[in-house]
Amino acid sequence: MTARDEILARVRQGVGRGDFAARRAAAEAALQAAQRGPQPAIVADPAADLASRLRDKAASLASTVDTVADWAAAPAAVARYLVAHELGEAAVATPEVATLDWAGAGLQVAGRGAEDADRVGISGCFCGIAETGTLLLLSGAATPATVSLLPETHIALLAASRIVATLEDAFALVRAEHGSLPRALNFISGPSRTGDIEQTIVLGAHGPCRVHLILIGDAS
Amino acid sequence: MTAAGQAMHFQTRAGQQLRDAVLQRALRKARPLFVGKRARGMAGLAADGLDFESLRSTAKNIRNRTLADLDVWLAIFEERATASGAEVLWARDGEEVARLVVDLAKRHGVSLATKSKSMLSEEARLNEALAAAGVRPVETDLGEYIVQLAGEPPSHIIAPAVHKTLGQVESLFAEAHGRPPVDRGADDIPVMAREARAVLRQHFLSAEMGISGANFLIAETGSAALVTNEGNGRMVTTLPRLHVVITGIEKVVPMLEDFATLMRLLPRSATGQAISNYVSLLTGTKRPGDLDGPEKTVFILVDNGRAKLLGSDYQDMLRCIRCGACMNHCPVYFALGGHAYGWVYPGPMGSVLTPLLTGLDKAPDLPHASTGCNQCGSVCPVDIPLPELMHRLREEQVERRLQPWPERLALGLWGGLARRPALYRRATRLAARYLDWLAEGSGRIRIFGLAPQWTAGRDLPVAAGRTFHELYAARKRD
Repeated sequence: MTARDEILARVRQGVGRGDFAARRAAAEAALQAAQRGPQPAIVADPAADLASRLRDKAASLASTVDTVADWAAAPAAVARYLVAHELGEAAVATPEVATLDWAGAGLQVAGRGAEDADRVGISGCFCGIAETGTLLLLSGAATPATVSLLPETHIALLAASRIVATLEDAFALVRAEHGSLPRALNFISGPSRTGDIEQTIVLGAHGPCRVHLILIGDAS
Repeated sequence: MTAAGQAMHFQTRAGQQLRDAVLQRALRKARPLFVGKRARGMAGLAADGLDFESLRSTAKNIRNRTLADLDVWLAIFEERATASGAEVLWARDGEEVARLVVDLAKRHGVSLATKSKSMLSEEARLNEALAAAGVRPVETDLGEYIVQLAGEPPSHIIAPAVHKTLGQVESLFAEAHGRPPVDRGADDIPVMAREARAVLRQHFLSAEMGISGANFLIAETGSAALVTNEGNGRMVTTLPRLHVVITGIEKVVPMLEDFATLMRLLPRSATGQAISNYVSLLTGTKRPGDLDGPEKTVFILVDNGRAKLLGSDYQDMLRCIRCGACMNHCPVYFALGGHAYGWVYPGPMGSVLTPLLTGLDKAPDLPHASTGCNQCGSVCPVDIPLPELMHRLREEQVERRLQPWPERLALGLWGGLARRPALYRRATRLAARYLDWLAEGSGRIRIFGLAPQWTAGRDLPVAAGRTFHELYAARKRD
């Protein structure tokens, strides 16, 4: 008997219910009807300003937040941030956002996956989640996961129209736009941190030490 | 990694830990921090208009529903994970886990494996097996890295190095990183974290295999969910060409919405955060055109004693989502630290799980490592009745005659007396007089010869020379 068969036999015995086929059909049906658990108050609040909630929450996670009117204004905002933090003029960007006019803002931006030597990584976001100030990035050919991971500074560009209220809303958007899941959904909530030496929080454990969010087209 | 047999020696280890001044200092410092963080997390829930009790009853229901049809959900998970390009393997026990991982490492020419925290790999004593096979395992969670350098097992499931002080970490780093030790203060902690970052970054980049656990498996999508703060989980699952996920069969949940509910509770219960810095849902392997991601992803679904808990008196324990809140609120855990528990899981959840997974006869003291205060049960995000389960284990010890013989003898004698009222009265009268004589009228006995351990740290208060029956009869006469 293989390990698989033996373990599943034990599980079936422990579950102690017959009619696998009927239970399986019921489970498949349940997967078609997503049931949400208790939802935070912003979901039911028609006046909820998702962009300002996201900004506040991101700031409380030790991210910094900037706002620009449109995508064309993003490279200059990135350049301002790099100058202010003395981070140079070079960056790696996901191919998705590498097509913006970076040279026009005086930056040398390479569209590719990140390498260890890259100091700044620029990415877009699939969406933002207001509840927790979280950014959702999907892996893909034009959106390599390393750009938001290896460089010490991660600059994320997010269209305000892509802000949803909750994690469940983000999942609904992924299902609607992608059907099946890409290799990785990465939910990012601020710079990486550790508390493993005497419970003292330090920013910049293995991932970025700085996360800078640029919100695009936020009218509020 | 300690052997399961170490759980035999809880009492001895407890004594050692109580006398370890450095450990006691580390624990005293950590306890209020852990408790305060969860309290802030709960305040945050309330501020968002969410109610802990209703969230936890939803979470409990999700876990119960899954366990009630676990065979179905595992089948769906396996099918969908396979369809997404991952391979699903099964392991009956820890040894089989180690064998499967070593085989994978050999077949893929692996010499260095980076690891994101996995308690199951501790159950399997995987690091020893890998090292024996010529593969270098490197723990990358900072706390796990520290305890690996120290050659110790983790002492907490989410804060593996909570028992280490700054000075101890500095000595370990100095030795491992080949530099002279420096006198460090709390302000230097960021410098030390950066040093570990630089060392571990090189391992991330060169490892051929990444090993992680999974906080949950999602049946709907065949995905592993991984929750970390440091980003090591992302490194380990993104950079090496082979990714191995080792996780227990009970970790599956039906769908993404269920995962969302559990994620409102897990980080808040663990560290007080509304969400951990990195939450990743990993499905299959590198896709056509992808610039990163593993070429091969293997799930190892492990039983190691879990399946037999289904349908038993202890099924509730399988709801556990490994947040650590029970140990963070446990007076016994904070008196002793995690190593006293002798196996992988410390604190109240360990006191239940260790006897269940390794055998009640191998961990006889753990069901007693409780004050019965139920702080653990009240903070548990999936409402596991931990004190009740410990109580049930104690009953089982009696039923299976597993208690030590003096205890069995004493209880047998007492039982015999209690069933014979006349004899009982005479015997208790005699005992009360005897104790009063021993106490020399002071009302307390400094050292009680029949059970000297009881009186090692406290006096035994004694009855006032007369039994309850005598006092009751006297009062009735008045």
